[in-house]
Amino acid sequence: MENATTKSKGFGLNQTIPLATAAMAGVFLWLGLSQYGFWHDSKGPMSGFFPVVISSALLLVSIATFFQSFSEKRPTLPLINWLPAFGVVLILGATLLLGMVPSLALYVVLWLRLFEKYDWKTTLVTTTVIMAIVIGCFVIWLGVPFPQGLIYEAITE
Amino acid sequence: MENINMLLQGFSVLLTWQNVFVTFLGAILGLIVGAMPGIGSLAGVALLLPLTYSFNPTTAVIMLGSLYYANMFGGAFSAILLNIPGDSPAVMTALDGYPMATVKKRPGQALLVSNFSSFIGGFIGMIILTFTGPALANIGLKFGPSEMTALLLVAMTSIGWLVGENPSKGLLLTLFGILLACMGMDTLTGSPRYDFGNEYLLGGIPFTPFVIGMVGFSQVMILMDERLVKAKEVTEKLTIRGSLLTKHDLKRLLPPALRSGVLGTFMGVLPGAGATAASFMGYAVQKSFKSEEPLGSGAVEGIASCEAANNGAAAGSFAPLLALGIPGSGTGAVLLGGLMLWGLNPGPLLFTNEPDFAWGLIASLFLANVVALMCAWGVIPLLIKILSVPTRLIIPCITVICIVGSYSTSNSMYGVLVMLISGVLGYVMHKFRYPAAPVLLAFVLAPMLESNMRKSFIISRGSLDIFFDSPLSLAFMTIFIVILLFPAARAVFGSFTRTKMETAK
Repeated sequence: MENATTKSKGFGLNQTIPLATAAMAGVFLWLGLSQYGFWHDSKGPMSGFFPVVISSALLLVSIATFFQSFSEKRPTLPLINWLPAFGVVLILGATLLLGMVPSLALYVVLWLRLFEKYDWKTTLVTTTVIMAIVIGCFVIWLGVPFPQGLIYEAITE
Repeated sequence: MENINMLLQGFSVLLTWQNVFVTFLGAILGLIVGAMPGIGSLAGVALLLPLTYSFNPTTAVIMLGSLYYANMFGGAFSAILLNIPGDSPAVMTALDGYPMATVKKRPGQALLVSNFSSFIGGFIGMIILTFTGPALANIGLKFGPSEMTALLLVAMTSIGWLVGENPSKGLLLTLFGILLACMGMDTLTGSPRYDFGNEYLLGGIPFTPFVIGMVGFSQVMILMDERLVKAKEVTEKLTIRGSLLTKHDLKRLLPPALRSGVLGTFMGVLPGAGATAASFMGYAVQKSFKSEEPLGSGAVEGIASCEAANNGAAAGSFAPLLALGIPGSGTGAVLLGGLMLWGLNPGPLLFTNEPDFAWGLIASLFLANVVALMCAWGVIPLLIKILSVPTRLIIPCITVICIVGSYSTSNSMYGVLVMLISGVLGYVMHKFRYPAAPVLLAFVLAPMLESNMRKSFIISRGSLDIFFDSPLSLAFMTIFIVILLFPAARAVFGSFTRTKMETAK
């Protein structure tokens, strides 16, 4: 599906990326020159040399892109598209309490059942398949020590 | 002849049960990932990178190479049956594939034309890779730090120029990717820099979670736009026997497939051009040759020309990747990042120092080509089921894979956090039409660029003349300056032409 866009008028979201990269370039430039050093008479280029060269170029390109961005259409960023990111934040929080694997299973069930309104059969089959991949590949095969959460630790102590 | 012997040695490395198994696994996963609209080879390779950590480097890269390669076969499935390309190189395939499947009622034959052309294009690419790879490496051995710096500058700027619609956006992201890679340790002195007092940042931004977020998790956020779009249904029944091609079909398929295979391979060698550009070029060239039916109406020649070109390019892109350490695309950058994680340094010395690895990988591409053809043919009856998996089911599943994949690389929540931030960044970039490939390429190549640039300046005692002294570096620097000045020149001349036209009115 194409991005929904509106005609850009004045200052707005379109200018965010070039402004952010210009700010980043400014910080890298300042730190490079003030802390890491640019050039040493006998040793040549120092730690800050390369980042300073690149951040100077980034600053110039950011300024050019900033002025170009006024002629571009402004995309919309629907709130619903942020739900997966919000879901990851919730999983990070739930992991502290429940552990990562149960949190992931709970996330899939809640997402499919409450948000997508799938029936229990589809929800449980999908959850079983994806958790079989996670446990089979990552826990058993790769031996990844996923965090087990406060509840599990309290029970096993 | 020596190359053929080395290739045979590569087959002896390849033919262990583990390597053959991962070739099959990579091919099947590549077909599935390629067939599902919206995932693509870049996200597919990034998501599966953590799974390869338990393998030795050769086996791991064989699996990723096979996955990437089979993805080119899979991308055409949804393009032909649903008119929705699974990946950008398959865009042109839909132009003739979909009419052949729907208007001419020959969906099975359309799929098989695509599979055979992919096989032929890929095979040509691999033959050329077998001979040009080591030759390119020999040229690379003559490169000093100044030549390498100039070549890297060309590779980095050309991808920004060729990918996406606005070269200055590509350049901005290239520079942004380089700065991100500067965080952590100074690669030459080992002293910390840009860590902002954070112990996690001392080790820099971890590559795998960064890539998984930038191309995998961002894709999840993008797919939210499409979750309510009802999937098109395929009404035709597909069988293996019903898909067989006639002699006449084969006769029409061969000339465009052979031509586009050679063209695609050379397109693949160019940094940034990649499989998508090759597919467009293959189709455009076919327009100047005679086709039995007009292109766009379901012509066999149309499908064959773009499919052979994109598979030729996929094989050809391994030549600069292995011989010079320079990837031609975002997917190549992920493969290169994987190689570096396993302690291998692709470049001119790879064929000399790690012949088993280099030739084993090239041999695996030959095997992947055969395996992908067999699997692509074999899955034809199952395609309707694979293609009907709704996006709404895929979204939470990819989210889970992104989280466990990024956690498993660092065994810490820091990896998940990096994945989340880079995913949001990738999504915002997509919405504002900033391409992700230049960031990945720059992030992977930045340490090599910094090391070579600083060595050049140490040798020249700070003089820029070193980049213009030798003919090779002079040639690369000229290309670099032209690429760099092109967007500015286009903007100036564009506004000049517009003003002139307005005055004329």
